[in-house]
Amino acid sequence: MSSFSRSAQQWATFARSWFLIDAKMQPPGKIATMCSVRLQGKHKPIYHALSDCGDHVVVINTKHIAFSGNKWEQKVYSSHTGYPGGFKQVTAAQLHLKDPKHLTIVKLAVYGMLPKNLHRRTMMQRLHIFPDDELPDDIRANLTEELPQPREIPRKLSEYTQEEIDAFPRLWTPPEDYKMK
Amino acid sequence: MVFLTLSCWIRSRGPDRYWKVQEVLKHARHFRGRKNRCYSLAVRAVRRAFVYATKARKLKKRNMRTLWISRIAAATREHGMKYPALMHNLTKTSVQLNRRVICDLAVTEPRSFLSLAKLARARQQEGFRAALGDGKEPAGVFSRVVLLQ
Repeated sequence: MSSFSRSAQQWATFARSWFLIDAKMQPPGKIATMCSVRLQGKHKPIYHALSDCGDHVVVINTKHIAFSGNKWEQKVYSSHTGYPGGFKQVTAAQLHLKDPKHLTIVKLAVYGMLPKNLHRRTMMQRLHIFPDDELPDDIRANLTEELPQPREIPRKLSEYTQEEIDAFPRLWTPPEDYKMK
Repeated sequence: MVFLTLSCWIRSRGPDRYWKVQEVLKHARHFRGRKNRCYSLAVRAVRRAFVYATKARKLKKRNMRTLWISRIAAATREHGMKYPALMHNLTKTSVQLNRRVICDLAVTEPRSFLSLAKLARARQQEGFRAALGDGKEPAGVFSRVVLLQ
């Protein structure tokens, strides 16, 4: 690589890469931290706030995002229209269902995690969110790297084979008159 | 009357006003608006600029250090470690490189930086073995600190 000319080396160092993140069954906050780090360029040792070193991030399967805990019912997204009596509060579940493109939750999460300066809007323009697996061909052609998912998806009971279920150690024996549900 | 001839009435008041004014305006040439042309406005703007420059000399040191730290953190995450672990283990192996030098290595000498990261990880593993083990195992190679007297 040192045999390349200086201009070619510089072009290669500062080139913008395209990352792919699969958000299926992932918490949107963890997805958003990964996105914001790469949009700012903080994953590069050549990072500087002014040198516009952020990359593009493509998030797919945002329809299947999974909040932990009771956040679907408890997390509230508030906004005010500016008019009196215009304070709107929506739970995360309502917001996700009302959204035809299922991108508001991830978009708001990333928007809040980026630095609050004028670069934020350009960084948001470099974030591409898709509710499903389908990507336009030009974006698919640009992708360079897929990032590993932050959360390990636990297997459902129906996905375990009967041998694995039988091989699982018995934790306690119920008494005689115990009624199982 | 003291001055009896016309030529004696001519005073020379401060022959170098032009150069005194230019001395101030030359520091204001890149300012916006009339501050870069008019002396009275420029004097105030230049004084503010010099005050900001004096205060910023301390801030520059802080900002440069945070920049080095974020760059080193980015480089260590590429190698699967975190910045606090790297720095702590490097100090434990008595590698006294400062953040400026480690940042420059991370940018221009990636293989040397990788070797530093591997050294820190080895020392970290030795620390875990010493903490979790019985204490009968001898200290690892990197845990031996040489005290120069």
